[in-house]
Amino acid sequence: MKALTLLFCSFFIANAWAQQVISGQVMDKQGSPLLGVNVYLEGTYDGATTDLEGRFSFTSPEQDSLVLIASSVGYRPMTLFLDGATDQLAIHLIETINRLDAVAITTGSFSGSEEGHREILKPLDIVTTAGATADIPGALNTLPGTQAVGESGRLFVRGGDGRETKTFIDGMLVHDEYSPAAPNTPSRSRFSPFMFKGTSFSTGGYSAEYGQALSSALILTSKDVAENDRTDISLMTVGADISTTQSLKNGSLAAKAQYTNLTPYFTLLRQRLDWDQAPEEWNGNFTYRWRTGKTGMLKVFSNLSTSNLALYEPDIANPEVQVPVGVSNDYAYLNTSYRDVINEKWGLRTGASFTRSHDEASRAASSLQRDLTGFHTKMAADYNHSDRLALILGGEVIGTSLRQTLSEGGQLKQSFDEHLAASFVETEWYASSSLAFKAGLRAEYSSLSQQATWSPRLSAAYKTGDHSQVSVAYGQFYQGASRQVQLTMPQAVHEQADHYLANYQWEQEGRTFRIEAYEKRYAGLARYGDILDHNTFQFDGEGHARGIDLFWRDSKTFKNTDYWVSYSFLDTRRRHQDFPGAFAPPFASAHNFSLVTKQFINEIKSQIGWTYSFASPRSYHDPNEQAFMAGRTPWYHDLSFNISYLFNSQVILHAMVNNVLGINNIFGYEYVATPNEEGFYAGRPIMPPARRFIFVGVFITLSKNKSINQLPNL
Amino acid sequence: MKKYLLLPLGLLIATMTFANGPFEKAMGESIPAMFGAETPEALQSAINRLSRIADAEPDRWEPAYYAAFGYLRMSTMFDAAAEKDKYLDLGLAALEKTEDILPNDSELETLKGYLQMMKLTVDPATRGPSYSPMVFGAFQKAIALDPQNPRAHFLLGNMQYGTAQFLGGGNQEACASLSKAMELFETQAPSSPIAPSWGHESAKASHQQICVGAE
Repeated sequence: MKALTLLFCSFFIANAWAQQVISGQVMDKQGSPLLGVNVYLEGTYDGATTDLEGRFSFTSPEQDSLVLIASSVGYRPMTLFLDGATDQLAIHLIETINRLDAVAITTGSFSGSEEGHREILKPLDIVTTAGATADIPGALNTLPGTQAVGESGRLFVRGGDGRETKTFIDGMLVHDEYSPAAPNTPSRSRFSPFMFKGTSFSTGGYSAEYGQALSSALILTSKDVAENDRTDISLMTVGADISTTQSLKNGSLAAKAQYTNLTPYFTLLRQRLDWDQAPEEWNGNFTYRWRTGKTGMLKVFSNLSTSNLALYEPDIANPEVQVPVGVSNDYAYLNTSYRDVINEKWGLRTGASFTRSHDEASRAASSLQRDLTGFHTKMAADYNHSDRLALILGGEVIGTSLRQTLSEGGQLKQSFDEHLAASFVETEWYASSSLAFKAGLRAEYSSLSQQATWSPRLSAAYKTGDHSQVSVAYGQFYQGASRQVQLTMPQAVHEQADHYLANYQWEQEGRTFRIEAYEKRYAGLARYGDILDHNTFQFDGEGHARGIDLFWRDSKTFKNTDYWVSYSFLDTRRRHQDFPGAFAPPFASAHNFSLVTKQFINEIKSQIGWTYSFASPRSYHDPNEQAFMAGRTPWYHDLSFNISYLFNSQVILHAMVNNVLGINNIFGYEYVATPNEEGFYAGRPIMPPARRFIFVGVFITLSKNKSINQLPNL
Repeated sequence: MKKYLLLPLGLLIATMTFANGPFEKAMGESIPAMFGAETPEALQSAINRLSRIADAEPDRWEPAYYAAFGYLRMSTMFDAAAEKDKYLDLGLAALEKTEDILPNDSELETLKGYLQMMKLTVDPATRGPSYSPMVFGAFQKAIALDPQNPRAHFLLGNMQYGTAQFLGGGNQEACASLSKAMELFETQAPSSPIAPSWGHESAKASHQQICVGAE
């Protein structure tokens, strides 16, 4: 028994002797103490958390081969092999770059997703903006850098034409992204904003991954796998749609059918135009999402639509003569993309898109027929060397084939087939969490122009404070000439734009301010005397656009209210097309302003939105005047309103009115091509087809899960 | 003779050490420390200790579970959305480690739903559409895995209440869930000292506020 007691005692003594103290201090690279660091011996419970001075101290009975780990969120874990002294340890941790907190290159772009905090425009904002009629470009047109071009509906960015903005869905190019519209009426994007979880609208200086856009890239990311089954029914004054989503074991399937017909609406509300067939459209969507593994995702999206309209338009010279006008379009689009993470360092993205579009348009005895076939394949690899250094490299082929027949007495058949191959590489380097650089290079070769181009893209950002940062960017961009120029002269060289941008952004919980100055220089613009005669072509056009964009958004000051203000100043001149010199193009206006407000009123369970915009005069050419482009339109004003009322959790009523005040906006003037006997060119103002647009709809959601409704859709 | 007497004694000691071994002892200290921490510093310290135990005991899900709960509590100590998200993401990451140890568990699924629900509340207008199906899915799965889990019913009730507040609608659904939770809380005792047993008081408060006051 004695022996046993002795054994026990010696065990305790040995234990007590073996306890050793491990202590020290943890600091960052600059020597500032770090609080809350977990310092412990690997594989044991023994450890401590550092205090305000970064100090820690603990005891452990462990003896040999002690491995000490110091770990803290935002720092690389440090492993220390202890031999010898275990007190007074000085440990320095190296910061990891957390992309959410670190500086971000923001020049040019407005991005939005459901997750981020830095987002300027969230997906929901697009559909709740008054005046936007749930159209993506419509909502983006309230951001600085865009121009109010009411008769087009497209995105005109910083002195660029509408065609200088390209749309990408899941990285894949979309050919013909707008639905056709009657003359001088705004066209709408073919893609519903409800499809996307993220939008990034870049007004300049974008990544080398995107090309063939001189002014702007609209990069849309579609939603992932749907987790719930649901069926949605919408009944609207302009038509109806039904959609259903089924969640599968490893994916989801969705389909939507939509019919739009404006006949009842036009019968009820008098229009300026005399419609023979009000716009009518059948539209079908099919979406498939499949999780191929823990990290892989396959997305397939297709869209089929057919639309037509016909109307009588007064002749410009003899308004009592009605000229028949008809527009029809058949469209098919297929987009497949796949992404996966191969290992910790490598990720892969690949995809293909295919477009077919058939257009027919006629006015009196003249007509146009156009067939477009487009495809795009792309493969990109993302390599993350460390939290500081990342690389993207990839290649793509874009094919465009266009056939066009113009008939007016005789027939003019034109066509081109272009294959454009491109490769890109871009690297992003974080010198620290407050200083980042990006450098990219894009190489392109066109089978038609037989032109090889190299476009560098550079940007840098520096965090000037907890809430503010500055960034600068430079980039070179190329884009094929306009379709008609390419049809007349397939070997037309690509047009070029160089962007220089500087941006300051301040952001604090619910409030954002940004100011951006830019300069854009155009070169190689197509000039011609007659767009149908390639002998009159020259590719020495040039131009500039410079300006300042201001943006302020605040969702904090007023309860349940969110508002933003945009202002853009633009100074632009171009010598292109048939301009006799450098002039401001007719789509440009020097001042553009928008104020968007959204307010949720609990008492009436409704969200109310207002958008007020104005733009300064645009120029137009009056052939009766000696001077070119001497005409000035009046100022443009618009006040739009919308309201969404939650009848119950599954039924929503939505109404909106565009141009509440009924202001007579004039977008420009159009003139006849040949003067009358007195040498006078008859003309008339370009105006919207109706002063106001009114929309009322009921949205019903059927789902097992009662808390899902179409509110996010409104 | 003494030898024979010592044998059962030795066995008894061995059993007691097992039941009250270093793991149970460490957890027995860490869990109340985590629930009781009133400052981010104290809470971080408790989370750190739980993380150490989790690293040293790769076969036990409890330390990571409580560390994840600690991060959830941490997220409530900050006002900034970015901070809240940071801690909730850390919580989800900690919880993910338990999935391989104990797949398809009602308590783990409940906490996952709870963390996602807290992420939803950071920006309900924007995140509601994508998060609410995930949150409901998690609680419903937790209930399917163990219909007697009071925490799953309690949180489902809270989520139903929050949704009705946000989108309009009555509290009948929420109250049915909360009543079920109350019934289960009152009749159940935790299976072990370290098994999840939180939620009774909060459920009582929610039930009182939402259902009793309204009747």
